[in-house]
Amino acid sequence: MNELVWTFAEWLYAQPWSRGIHESFYVYNWIESTHVVTLMLSLGMLFLIDLRLLGLTMTNVPASTIAQRLNIPMWIGFTIMIVTGLLLFYAVPTRTATSVWFRIKMVLLFAAAINAWLLHRKMQESAGTWDKDPVPPKRIRIAAALSLAFWAGIITTGRLIAYDWYDCYRIQSDFINVVAGCVAGTEY
Amino acid sequence: MELLPFFEWAEASFLGSIGKTYGGWYAIGQSLHLFSLALLGGAVLVTDLRLLGIILKDVPSEMVADNAHKWFKVALAGILATGIFMAAAVAVRMYYNDFFFAKMVALAVGIIFVFAIKRPLLKRSHADIQPWVLKALAVASICLWFSVAATGRWIGFS
Repeated sequence: MNELVWTFAEWLYAQPWSRGIHESFYVYNWIESTHVVTLMLSLGMLFLIDLRLLGLTMTNVPASTIAQRLNIPMWIGFTIMIVTGLLLFYAVPTRTATSVWFRIKMVLLFAAAINAWLLHRKMQESAGTWDKDPVPPKRIRIAAALSLAFWAGIITTGRLIAYDWYDCYRIQSDFINVVAGCVAGTEY
Repeated sequence: MELLPFFEWAEASFLGSIGKTYGGWYAIGQSLHLFSLALLGGAVLVTDLRLLGIILKDVPSEMVADNAHKWFKVALAGILATGIFMAAAVAVRMYYNDFFFAKMVALAVGIIFVFAIKRPLLKRSHADIQPWVLKALAVASICLWFSVAATGRWIGFS
């Protein structure tokens, strides 16, 4: 599996546009800046939805109103983040694909998406009974707290990708090498 | 006024030494800084987009602004605390970084704008304020805080 990921990453990096973005000071940095600054829109809106579901803000507005109204700007933000995130991966595919932090980030993103889907479903099923309550039921608050925790993890691991603590060129344990996807016999 | 001695002192301080010595703590500081930035963005944008009539049109803007301002203060405290920690660890490098000073100016203007102009205005009934003033306030606020975030990111590139 790791060999396959590495081969794909190498193929991506062989594309002229991949190196072009990576080697362009302004293009790469503008893409990265956009990715980071868009946190203010995507996660900003998500945090406010989660805070409402925790009963910590705008408690006199129905929770479903906050969730529905902030959903569109949140998704505009997430769309920009997904596009810029894919471009960042495309520009530096080999190192990113073998980053422990990137891999943990992807797992956390998946977990956050599942949690969001379950929360959304729970809200659709039961919001009628508690929508106007200042503090939603415990199961909803747990899901909102989990969402904040997952995103804290995603931000942290995303930031840690820049650090080379566990990069494949280092001598490290077999466990780390497997988790990072380091392929034996490859020169990093 | 010569600022370099202050930056040298900051880097040699206890706070500066922790960030310089322990990379893990520095990275956690960076992550908390980004987390606070996202929260600040949410608090700023929910108010400004409401003032522009884009979101939450059926919720009174006074209510949105009051609630968001509480979280703005929490986020700002987080940004300042983690920002000081991060800057102290690389203070001398920051002294020679133009984007650091650009961010400090943008941040100072942003804080003054919020506490001296935006908040005092928005505490009043919004019906008593000219609509164009509310919209101008929202546009200025969005531009200001995005400038703070963008100049902050570019500190790392220069």
